[in-house]
Amino acid sequence: MVGKASLFLVLGFSLIFLVFGQKFSSLGNSAVDNMTNYYSESVAHDCAASGANLAANQLFLDPTWRTGFTNLSLNNGTINVAVNEIDPFQDIIQIVSTGTFNGITKKVTVTLKPSKFSKFAYFSVSEGDNIWWIGKDTVWGPFHTQDYMRVENHPVFMGKATTAKSLIYYTNKKSDEPHFFSTFEDGQDEPLPTDGLAPIKAAAQNNGFFQPLMNDTVVTGGNNGGGWGWNKHHHTTTTITPDTAYITFVNDSVQIKLGYDKTAHTYLTHTLAPNGAIYVEGMDVRLKGTVQGQYTVASDCNIYLDDDIVYKNNPNIINNNNTDLLGIVAQKNVIITDNKANHKDINIDAAIYTQGSFTAENYDNLPVCGNINLIGGITQNVRGPVGLFNYGGNISSGFAKRYAYDQRLMISSPPFFPGTGRFEIVSWLDE
Amino acid sequence: MGYSTILDILGSIIMGGLLMLILWRMNASATDNNFNYGAEVALQQNLTTVALILEHDFRKIGYCKDYNKIFDPSKSILYADSTSIKFLTDDKDNGNLDTMYYYLGPTSELTSTPNPRDRLLHRVINGQTHLEANLGVTKFRLVYFGALGDTLTLPIAHPGSISLIEIDLAVENPYAYNNEYSQAFWRQIRLAARNLKNR
Repeated sequence: MVGKASLFLVLGFSLIFLVFGQKFSSLGNSAVDNMTNYYSESVAHDCAASGANLAANQLFLDPTWRTGFTNLSLNNGTINVAVNEIDPFQDIIQIVSTGTFNGITKKVTVTLKPSKFSKFAYFSVSEGDNIWWIGKDTVWGPFHTQDYMRVENHPVFMGKATTAKSLIYYTNKKSDEPHFFSTFEDGQDEPLPTDGLAPIKAAAQNNGFFQPLMNDTVVTGGNNGGGWGWNKHHHTTTTITPDTAYITFVNDSVQIKLGYDKTAHTYLTHTLAPNGAIYVEGMDVRLKGTVQGQYTVASDCNIYLDDDIVYKNNPNIINNNNTDLLGIVAQKNVIITDNKANHKDINIDAAIYTQGSFTAENYDNLPVCGNINLIGGITQNVRGPVGLFNYGGNISSGFAKRYAYDQRLMISSPPFFPGTGRFEIVSWLDE
Repeated sequence: MGYSTILDILGSIIMGGLLMLILWRMNASATDNNFNYGAEVALQQNLTTVALILEHDFRKIGYCKDYNKIFDPSKSILYADSTSIKFLTDDKDNGNLDTMYYYLGPTSELTSTPNPRDRLLHRVINGQTHLEANLGVTKFRLVYFGALGDTLTLPIAHPGSISLIEIDLAVENPYAYNNEYSQAFWRQIRLAARNLKNR
């Protein structure tokens, strides 16, 4: 009796343990499935991100590359990448990269647009021999130099900072390390193009304002010996080449005169240059005024700033109605003129690009002129001087710098402003 | 009935009792294992679920379908400390900018479970849509790194200086057999939100 009961008991518990065993096995499988699924998701995502990085690199090497990748193999997964033009007018492209691993597919979508120099708060090819970014310096937007980045006593970089070379500390890292409030990358090559003005010139010739170098023929003489009457045998014809174009923005209009003693003509700016490109060839430009609208003034010579050049709407106030934007682009230098108007501060609202330097005329002989109140950015070949300082750190001649960054330049640029010839990533979506 | 029969019965009872004790012990052990196995699978699922959500959301820091709405993505982190972070994102990928706020609630907030250490991980969108993950989170710790890879000290005065984030997450079972709470830990060593530094 008891023997039979024991048999039933053992059989009963055996049955229960079989069920438990099956459950344990199922739980074990679930645990492995769960881990495998997470692993597969991670690998699929990594494949997709790698594909996007590979495509971005190809676009960096060749901006015209649109081929994409098909069935690339990576880490036992596959990668497919397509490069699509989503806005041919603005040349905005999108990389769509899909990574597949173990039946799981992940997608990374990257949007790129042409990169413009106007996005830089500060850009230079050469920083000069012994110019240091010091503790008093703050750069409020993206920074790049093709030179060494020399730092002393913790200068501040609010935007992304890059250098083609590397950081150099005045003393050591501890006492000089900059405060990067965005990011820092060294070894980033971003050369200044030699033909940066070409797109503006082409645009100015096509629906913009293009002022070619024109010889002005002037007839002088003809009054022979004080007597009255025209003596055709004694008059002289002189060819005068105007060396300067005076451009003054007056809100929605612009005054232009070619030569100091010439008559200024006034035009509605959007009628004169519907596409916003104003190009003066072979002449220096003297620029000032109040800008309403979006324009780029370019010259293959120097551009002098004779007085304040500001927006009609204050760029300090971020609102959607503030659309004024100015580019100042010079093949040679952008120079703050040594004149009375500039001896007490100068206000500049613009993105400046020069294949020479941004500097102040006679900077070492100027009186103390106050501040350069710049709202915009500066791209220059060689960092130019604008003043001198004494040992106390006070200005002894010329200007102090008060440079603010116009945040709008992160996403927009003056018309036909020189581009880097490369794309930049504007959004990255991991799905 | 002789002595031998009584001895047989007594022997059977002792043997049967021993067998019963063994079987009951095995049963208890099986039940214990069954609960713990099940709890660990659930725990693991909780962990991967939270990890996938965190990875998804944190990778989208500074993203907006209409990228013109974010002037400077490096300023997308609005607030950051060791157990909370608030940032700009485009949650529904519809071109509208949203603020997302993650924070770890106190243990007093979750008294309905026997585990004294589990907390609610809050996910708040635009200050309104308030989601709580009761997935046995016991630890949610964020470590921030700057542009040069150095650890940023808390409190972070300039969230724009954050380049990389380390995320530590630990979960435990809300319920346990014999007060033996299983624990699982996940760490994202360096999460780089690509939009933060892309311009």
